[in-house]
Amino acid sequence: MSSFLKVLFRNVLNGPSTDPFPLGETFTPDRLRGKVLIDPELCMGCGTCKEVCTAGAIDLSELADGSGFRITVWQNSCCLCASCRHYCPTGAASLIPDWHAAHPEEDKYVRIEQQTVKYEPCSNCGTLMRPIPAKLARKLYASSPELDPEQLRHLCPACRRLRDALKGRPFPVAAAKVPAEAQA
Amino acid sequence: MSIDHLLKKLSVRSPWLFRINAGSCNGCDVELATTACIPRYDVERFGCRYCGSPRHADVVLITGPVTTKVRDRVLTVWNEIPEPKVTVAVGICPISGGVFRDSYSIDGPLDRLIPIDVNVPGCPPRPQAILEAVVLARSIWMKKLGLEG
Repeated sequence: MSSFLKVLFRNVLNGPSTDPFPLGETFTPDRLRGKVLIDPELCMGCGTCKEVCTAGAIDLSELADGSGFRITVWQNSCCLCASCRHYCPTGAASLIPDWHAAHPEEDKYVRIEQQTVKYEPCSNCGTLMRPIPAKLARKLYASSPELDPEQLRHLCPACRRLRDALKGRPFPVAAAKVPAEAQA
Repeated sequence: MSIDHLLKKLSVRSPWLFRINAGSCNGCDVELATTACIPRYDVERFGCRYCGSPRHADVVLITGPVTTKVRDRVLTVWNEIPEPKVTVAVGICPISGGVFRDSYSIDGPLDRLIPIDVNVPGCPPRPQAILEAVVLARSIWMKKLGLEG
């Protein structure tokens, strides 16, 4: 009898244990996996996320005119396993704890995360390429203070090789065409 | 507003829920049981309760990617639910096929077979997200009855 009264008292003091949601606020853990976001500043379009995506929810395709690429995450297919975040080499994929996912049928195909990334011309030869994100370039060249990451990230891979071979001498004028031929 | 309409509005409050497992892994079913049985979420606050017979149901919650084996049974049970009914697809499996998409034994996604009203993606969705979906389904159900909006 007395233990029953103890429980009764405790319940009266603490109030109901029911979460007031959806009539009031509810709690959201900070690390809850609710929705995938792609950062267009960091995405290099390598396709690792598309490869590892358990549900096949990620699509990565070149734009029709070849001026960039488009990455699409279909939220209604995403199983929130966070493989994309785990394997993304540049940290472009992230998950936010936004779990408000219920939606009427007409919004079904609207719920996508889509980012378009445009290529930029190489500062030496003009070939269209995706520059290395500034944050990543600083990290990559951190051990070589004599290199300027800001300058290197705007060079295409072929021109970076050429730059290494020239050992600090300026690019020859004719070299502007070399990478284009090498790629062809 | 007629007295008939007013009486109907006063009396109609509680959509009963019915649960169909269309080949689910049981993850979403556990979350559905959680929303109903755990006092923290308590779906019965909205007058919703799970019923045992599809003939008593108003809102049907379907989980699972609709396997070939279970397809006809799902359609049979779904057709037994009286109109107006609201169909809720719980989890990514009925919505898109989820991780089972393109499998030889999957006949989904569900909206190819029956009209869906509310989707709640997640693998599985949070109990709060399911509560949100039930509240949305309830408002759609009231609209179908001509009592709201």
